[in-house]
Amino acid sequence: MELDHIRNFCIVAHIDHGKSTLADRLLEHTATLDQRQMREQVLDSNELERERGITIKLHAVHMDYRAQDGDEYELNLIDTPGHVDFTYEVSRSLAACEGALLVVDATQGVQAQTLSNLFLALDADLEIIPVINKIDLPGAEPERRQFEVAELLGVEPETVLLASAKEGTGISEILEAIVERVPPPSGRWEAPLRALIFDSYYDKYLGAVPSIRVVDGVIRPGMTIAFGNVASEYEVTEVGYMRLKRFPQKELGPGEVGYVVAAIKEVADTRPGDTILDARHRAKELLPGYQEVRPMVFAGLYPTNADDYEDLRDALDRLKLNDASLQFEPETSTALGFGFRCGFLGLLHMEIIQERLDREFGVDLITTVPNVEYHVRLTGGEELAIESPSSLPDRGKIDSVSEPVVKVRILTPSEYIGNVQKLCHDRRGVFKSMNYVDTQRVELDFELPLAEIVLDFYDKLKSGTRGYAAMDYEFLEYRPDDLIKLDILVNGDPVDAFSVIIHRDKAFQYGRELTSKLKELIPRQQFEVALQAAIGPKIIARSNVKALRKNVTAKCYGGDITRKRKLLEKQKEGKRRMKQVGSVEIPQEAFLAVLSIGE
Amino acid sequence: MGREGSWGDLSPGDLVIGSVYVHAPFCARRCFYCDFAVAVRRSGEPQSWAEAIGKELEILGAEGLAPLAPSLATVYVGGGTPSLLGPTAMDRLRRALGPGRLEHPELEWTSEANPESLTLDVAEQWRRAGLTRLSLGIQSFHEGTLRWMGRLHGAGGARSAVAAARHAGFENLSADLIFGLPSFLDRSWRTDLEATVALGVTHISLYGLTAEPDTPLGRSVRKGRTRIADEDRYREEYLEAHRFLTQEGFVHYEVSNFALPGFESRHNLAYWDGSPYLGLGNSSHSFLPPIRRWNLRAWDAYLERVHEGRLPVEDSEVVRGEAAQLEALWLGLRTSRGIPRDQLGSPAACALVAAWEAKGLASPVGPRIVLTPEGWLLLDRLAVELSEALPTRTTA
Repeated sequence: MELDHIRNFCIVAHIDHGKSTLADRLLEHTATLDQRQMREQVLDSNELERERGITIKLHAVHMDYRAQDGDEYELNLIDTPGHVDFTYEVSRSLAACEGALLVVDATQGVQAQTLSNLFLALDADLEIIPVINKIDLPGAEPERRQFEVAELLGVEPETVLLASAKEGTGISEILEAIVERVPPPSGRWEAPLRALIFDSYYDKYLGAVPSIRVVDGVIRPGMTIAFGNVASEYEVTEVGYMRLKRFPQKELGPGEVGYVVAAIKEVADTRPGDTILDARHRAKELLPGYQEVRPMVFAGLYPTNADDYEDLRDALDRLKLNDASLQFEPETSTALGFGFRCGFLGLLHMEIIQERLDREFGVDLITTVPNVEYHVRLTGGEELAIESPSSLPDRGKIDSVSEPVVKVRILTPSEYIGNVQKLCHDRRGVFKSMNYVDTQRVELDFELPLAEIVLDFYDKLKSGTRGYAAMDYEFLEYRPDDLIKLDILVNGDPVDAFSVIIHRDKAFQYGRELTSKLKELIPRQQFEVALQAAIGPKIIARSNVKALRKNVTAKCYGGDITRKRKLLEKQKEGKRRMKQVGSVEIPQEAFLAVLSIGE
Repeated sequence: MGREGSWGDLSPGDLVIGSVYVHAPFCARRCFYCDFAVAVRRSGEPQSWAEAIGKELEILGAEGLAPLAPSLATVYVGGGTPSLLGPTAMDRLRRALGPGRLEHPELEWTSEANPESLTLDVAEQWRRAGLTRLSLGIQSFHEGTLRWMGRLHGAGGARSAVAAARHAGFENLSADLIFGLPSFLDRSWRTDLEATVALGVTHISLYGLTAEPDTPLGRSVRKGRTRIADEDRYREEYLEAHRFLTQEGFVHYEVSNFALPGFESRHNLAYWDGSPYLGLGNSSHSFLPPIRRWNLRAWDAYLERVHEGRLPVEDSEVVRGEAAQLEALWLGLRTSRGIPRDQLGSPAACALVAAWEAKGLASPVGPRIVLTPEGWLLLDRLAVELSEALPTRTTA
């Protein structure tokens, strides 16, 4: 296809503003998929994605469109993940485009994610086509939103398109605007191959299949390819573009978007942002913007039943095939036995992995308190990266501990400014700026330690703003602070799964809350159980679980033994789900309790 | 389950049943704490009751599900309030069970009775019908406590009931006592124990008050209106009963049962040692190893089914493997016979029992392990622990 008849674009939107529905309409309108196939597509897609209304994996779809000028165009819709955990991946798929549809809900207006994604799109120099969606809804205020978005982008209100993806209105106008306003890609046929990887999935027959955008040159079967940042070479067996399935092509030229099959062993070889090169004729310069993806949030995952350890490893291996950003390595906890320390891009990523392990692989898990990576400077000057509280060295050896700080953008109706300010202050936040997005809504910018938002910040933000606030964050820098390790001792023994690294000012309250919560959750044993919170040798809070005094069904009536036995079976089942720590049995809920401290 | 003709798999084979439980559902009112299967009536309906029992037995017989011994070793009539059925009840039952069934020379035939309805007439006619043992629902001698519980007899009720029973010729008398009552009632447990022993009964059953969820008491506790005894007091009263009654010559032969030597309830022992038993009447349970089945809970529903000539069974289960093991341990540990030490098939189980012994929860008696009263207070927990420590039996 000639370069000037190719348009590569994406859709950026806040969650639930109708991105998927709009994409479906575009596919329908260009006769890429008929309605029957649409339904199948919905059925085929990841169950989790549909439930959470978010797109986890990226896809690119190729559409043929005959425009009003009578010419046939190749439109490539490149999907982007909608959540901040995947910011880097969003930026790589944006780099494969020249334009973006900015979709805004006509009832809700601009949201925090709309802004973050818009800024990413502007950073990538994309032509923005604003679309107000859901104009059919009763509460829709299309004109107000048109004006608001025009002001945000510095364009004329009439260039903001109106649509209802649900009703199918405004779709032709959008397709025409894509052809007219999105610039065609530029690139050179004769130059050595440079193709951007913006996504990859694992197929058990084909190996890792990267989604690519060819920038220069041509890729075709029979070529040997290499990568800019991975030392492997593979022979290409197939190239093509995706619809519902693969459509093999003779070749992909500059500006085109498609996939490559080359029996690539693992997804980790096909890193988003990396450049695919012709191994026999390497381009001198790689495409810009590649970064190693680094996990931000860490947690220990342990099988509830020790026998499931191998199953958990297999499940993680299989998830990793498709998700190179998931990191894990074996870890041993004195309390929880054998498990894995896992690194995630963010909280949502962690939740998704947990849910998939449970749902797709049926592994019952205990998750330890999520934490961030700390940078520790030892008195000798040596630097360490700590991913787990239990690996923090002795206090005497530590010179300083630094923690990651993130830039947080919160959008809230103005009446909740006070609540948001208070929440961020409680979480050691530093207020940076405040802007009115429109007359009722404010954008607040804070710098917050990432550790302070990994647990329940988002829930607290939602409840403090009646569900109206939206937030987004990105990594800023590492900063030293007065961070210490807090241990929980059960009958005198520290239980590593309860240890946290925490700011000194918060340790006392945290210790008190956790010990009293544990007191409720640890069932009475045949002896008294002492629960203590300690910083080093110093006990800062304590609580006791009294000894079990009585556990008997005194009278066994009229031969009704079945009912009594069922109660015993229930007790036995509960006991099986407990973890034995020393002589104390601790139920799974106790490990989860740590996650809900402060409620 | 519950379809007619689906009970073929419950066939008991060569089993012979020597113990029968008969449920008498009627009560003049429901007690505050009670969650048993009870039909509230001003008076019992002895004729329809006995007829229904007879009819049920007939249906069971036709299905081959009631392989009763020609003469039974034990019969237990429980309730409800059997004494509300009046003087003719036991004779009617004798006829319903069939000729010869109650002619065993060693027959133990017990009925529960409440003091207010055990009149001299009732006691005498029951005795004449062949009843050998009475279990009296005394609960307490404390007026305020009896009233709070919703009992219909007063502080003197127990004494007159015992006098009537004695006069009718009963020697084997059991008393039910309740403990673990709310402290505001100001009831002296010790005084009640002493008064019970002074009555000269041969057997005492203890019932620890529990707030079952579907009772007025349960609801009241849930709403925070009533506080039942805490575990410490429950424990103290239980241990006090053990100390006092054993000192008075009673044998603490099961978690909640005490008897003068030779007066242990043989019927209850059948439950605990896994013997087969047949339950008749609504809500009763039958055990024909390895099958346990139980009847419809409500009297009316039961009656209707029986009159239609259909089995009044609600459901059944096959007790095997892990469930059978757990049951056997729990039942075995209930009694002062305990369980044989050679049943501890794993090192973990041996270690566990050694730990119990070290903590005074169990003690070795010959080749068997028997829980102490302190151990009995934790019976459920200990049975669960032990069953966890044992390898699961792989019985078919």
